[in-house]
Amino acid sequence: MLKGIWGSDWFGLFVVALVAGTGLALFQPAFLSPFNLYVLLISFSLWALVAMAQMVIIAIGQMNLSVGAIGGLVAISFAGSMEVWGLPVPAAILLGLAIAALCGLLNGVMTHVTGISAFVITLATLSIFKGLNIGITEAQPFYGVPDVVKAFGNARFEGLPHMLIVPVVAIILIWLLFNRMVLGRQMLALGANRHAAELSGIRVGRVVVIAHVISALLAAMAGMLAVARLQLGQPTIGDDWLILSFAAPVIGGAVLAGGHISVIGTCLGVVIVTLINNALVLLGIDPFFVQLFLGGLILIAVGLNRWRERRLAPA
Amino acid sequence: MATATTGRGGRGALGLLASNEVGLALLIAVLVAIFATVNPGFTSPFNLFALSRVMGIDMVIGLSMMVVLVTGGLNLAVGSIGVASVMLGGWAMQVAGVPVLPSMTLAVAFGAFLGWINGQLTVRMGVHSFIVTLATMSLFFGAMIVATRAEAFNALPRSFVDLGKLRYGGFVSGMLPLALIVGLGLWLFFNRTSLGREILAAGANPQAAELSGVRVNRTIVVAHALSGALGALAGLMLAARNGAALPSMAGHIGMGWLLPAFLAPVLGGTLLTGGVVSVAGTVLGAAMVTIITNGLLQLQIGEFWVQMCLGLILLAAVLLDRARSVIAERRRSVA
Amino acid sequence: MRVARMLPLAVLAAGIAGPAMASDTKVALVPGGPHPYFAAWENAAAAAAADFGIEAEYRVPAAWELSKQNEMIESLVAQGFNAFLVFPGDANGTNATLEELAAFDIPSAALAGCTVDPTAASFCLGTDVARSAYLGTKELIEAMGGSGRIAHFTGFLVDPNTQLRIEAVEQAVAEAGGGVEIIQVIADIDAPEPADEKINAFLAARGSEVDGIVTTAWVPSVVAATSLRNLGDKRIRMVGIDHDEVVLSAIEDGFVDGTMLQNPYGQGYIGSYAMDLIRQGCTMKEDAPWQQTAQTAHFIDSGTAFVDADQVKDYQAAMVAVTDEIMATFKDDFLVCN
Repeated sequence: MLKGIWGSDWFGLFVVALVAGTGLALFQPAFLSPFNLYVLLISFSLWALVAMAQMVIIAIGQMNLSVGAIGGLVAISFAGSMEVWGLPVPAAILLGLAIAALCGLLNGVMTHVTGISAFVITLATLSIFKGLNIGITEAQPFYGVPDVVKAFGNARFEGLPHMLIVPVVAIILIWLLFNRMVLGRQMLALGANRHAAELSGIRVGRVVVIAHVISALLAAMAGMLAVARLQLGQPTIGDDWLILSFAAPVIGGAVLAGGHISVIGTCLGVVIVTLINNALVLLGIDPFFVQLFLGGLILIAVGLNRWRERRLAPA
Repeated sequence: MATATTGRGGRGALGLLASNEVGLALLIAVLVAIFATVNPGFTSPFNLFALSRVMGIDMVIGLSMMVVLVTGGLNLAVGSIGVASVMLGGWAMQVAGVPVLPSMTLAVAFGAFLGWINGQLTVRMGVHSFIVTLATMSLFFGAMIVATRAEAFNALPRSFVDLGKLRYGGFVSGMLPLALIVGLGLWLFFNRTSLGREILAAGANPQAAELSGVRVNRTIVVAHALSGALGALAGLMLAARNGAALPSMAGHIGMGWLLPAFLAPVLGGTLLTGGVVSVAGTVLGAAMVTIITNGLLQLQIGEFWVQMCLGLILLAAVLLDRARSVIAERRRSVA
Repeated sequence: MRVARMLPLAVLAAGIAGPAMASDTKVALVPGGPHPYFAAWENAAAAAAADFGIEAEYRVPAAWELSKQNEMIESLVAQGFNAFLVFPGDANGTNATLEELAAFDIPSAALAGCTVDPTAASFCLGTDVARSAYLGTKELIEAMGGSGRIAHFTGFLVDPNTQLRIEAVEQAVAEAGGGVEIIQVIADIDAPEPADEKINAFLAARGSEVDGIVTTAWVPSVVAATSLRNLGDKRIRMVGIDHDEVVLSAIEDGFVDGTMLQNPYGQGYIGSYAMDLIRQGCTMKEDAPWQQTAQTAHFIDSGTAFVDADQVKDYQAAMVAVTDEIMATFKDDFLVCN
């Protein structure tokens, strides 16, 4: 088992994260304070869901550009339905998830039925969902978020935010999906070799649609958590999710062509990005460096993955 | 101004694409008629001037994406390259005191350089240009923000800003003829030069092209460099129009240009799979996008629903595109 | 066909920007982008329309981008708007657009933020942001007992006011005689997500080092007030800006020491009034009581006031009084009408 861990996708990342975290803690003791951990974990909660949302689609060998747009649309629908229609919180959550399911359904069905690449379809739906968002809100946020939701967004036990429970449950479920469930294996098979998957009897359409729906649901959860955290139904939620949604899975060892992803690796990818963000503030470095780092990280990670692929590829 | 294809059912494809451009032109005429009737201000000199100016810029953005689509790839970094190049040009003009024309040349050259980087990374890493340009989009934008500290160059020389005000016949902006000249240049490139034809061949069928002596990798790098240069040009046009070189001019990480960049070529019949290009179609597609945006803005329901409408149009366009190629396949297999 | 088409166009052009008859003024109030500060402009426009018999509308560009604002303005011209009150998307860049409007005989003025001279804007009516930031910092220093370390959170870097505010805070600190130090300035956070992220990260990392916070933009004020309340912190003093509910209740409950009010309603109301008069033929007086700022020589102060826990319940009265005061003498002070 030890050998398995050593050779796995995520061990190297784990070491990196550990080293980085230790370094930061030594340099700036405030890093380990409950409040700072709380701040870190809030970021992690949101971004882990976003990264999972993309990871599921990468697994089947596709891409979902509309992750952020779905998150934003659900966020404002969630907040708006409570403010304007007076829906109780549970109903609003269900509404948000339902909207996401519809969005995912649209993405998945269009991709499968038309045979057009998911990249193009989701580029179009990205504009449609974001457009709907702006059309409904006129770029103004919904301020009337119920106190219950606001409280949830701020609640914490020492360094642990209450909202952490959502991504933790999601991560466990997704791990089970890909490691213990038939559907998950079918997704990976589809991503690895579509033709072979078809021949072995996998119902491709069903798998594709379900993957897109799962992706949309995860994005929706992230959107609603963002509303709780920001205490507003802010239309710009999701605008900057795209790069991150790819960076974390790629850093975590996902192969973009499909068929190989790592749940733990993706989570560690999120941890690393969160640490970088936090480090920039702690070290007083210009926060503008974030985008530079993210872009560079993706290139390095993709390069490393390709190198590994070529090494492991059969002669 | 027709199209260029290589070996893909020659006349059949030609016929389809030709009809696409005519269809676009007709659609544009209909839209203009509708908008002008609903709002007489649509055809006022001021609006036509504003319209033609944005149209020129959108055309160049669309052409910038088009040249990469031809290779079967994508350039998500169009906006980032555009902004980064213009900020360099702005710095040159405002801070370094370099005269306007050399500064603009510098900006375009820098855009070509950034595009060249994209091409090299794509070819050497053997990865799809989607992920490369996704990464470089963030990288270039981040580097630009760090270098400029997100400050704008807004004291640009008068002579540069006045370029944005050029007006012919009272209502046509100078940007439009510029874009059309660029379009003409690209048409000549793809139809009359061997390099252009090589790029098309490589995009249509890389293996076959390689076997017949085309250096496919070189075509990809050239296409990306060209795309970067065009992106920089679009950025310069936008800066002249706005009167300032702003880091925010292409939206967050340059993503604001993605929709017009894809809409124009796709509407115009350039296939996303590569190998087929329609310069006229891209130009007309950009015109249509600009007219729809402008018209919608003037309708009282317009301003916040524009993006959704454009997204629906893109969806419809790709569906149509797909339907067309399916029909073409069937026709060819029957014939 | 060409000549025949040109004629009706020429007529249309004349019609759009032709000579003014009484109250055919259609003024558009255009902010730099979506932002809660400008919400008051909508009410001000409606009130001005009712009071002066003009048309006045508040129209928001879809995003904080100069191109979007320019697009909006161009579109509004085509819709028949013939006077513009604009928050400059860029202090210099917007001049290009205003000049084009002037070429079509459409008057304009800068509201809440100024364009840089030379400008086609008839005037700039806004908060003296430098003075507001300066006074706010002084109040903060006083609340801290004259010395300490402070942090400054402020607005968009593309906002022409931001740099003025940064410098004003520095000046107030310099005048405090060495006991006060600015340990961090965080700009470009006038939107909920970056503000939340960066302010919380700052408080987490350096909260124990800082004694006071001055915020000179709406959203950072709200986020900082919320964070201080969540931390239960009353040690860190804070002076904010504007009148968001969250900030006001934080002042009442003692988490925030006070806020610098601005006068968005007054800006919109007085601005619309002025535009109508200009369209009716009035011109700006050269020797009016203009104020000189770093950006323009034609600045009119729309008023600012510091409000603390004692005055917070009745804050609106303060600003209404300022607006009334300006309106009473505006026409005589600033305009020449025949």
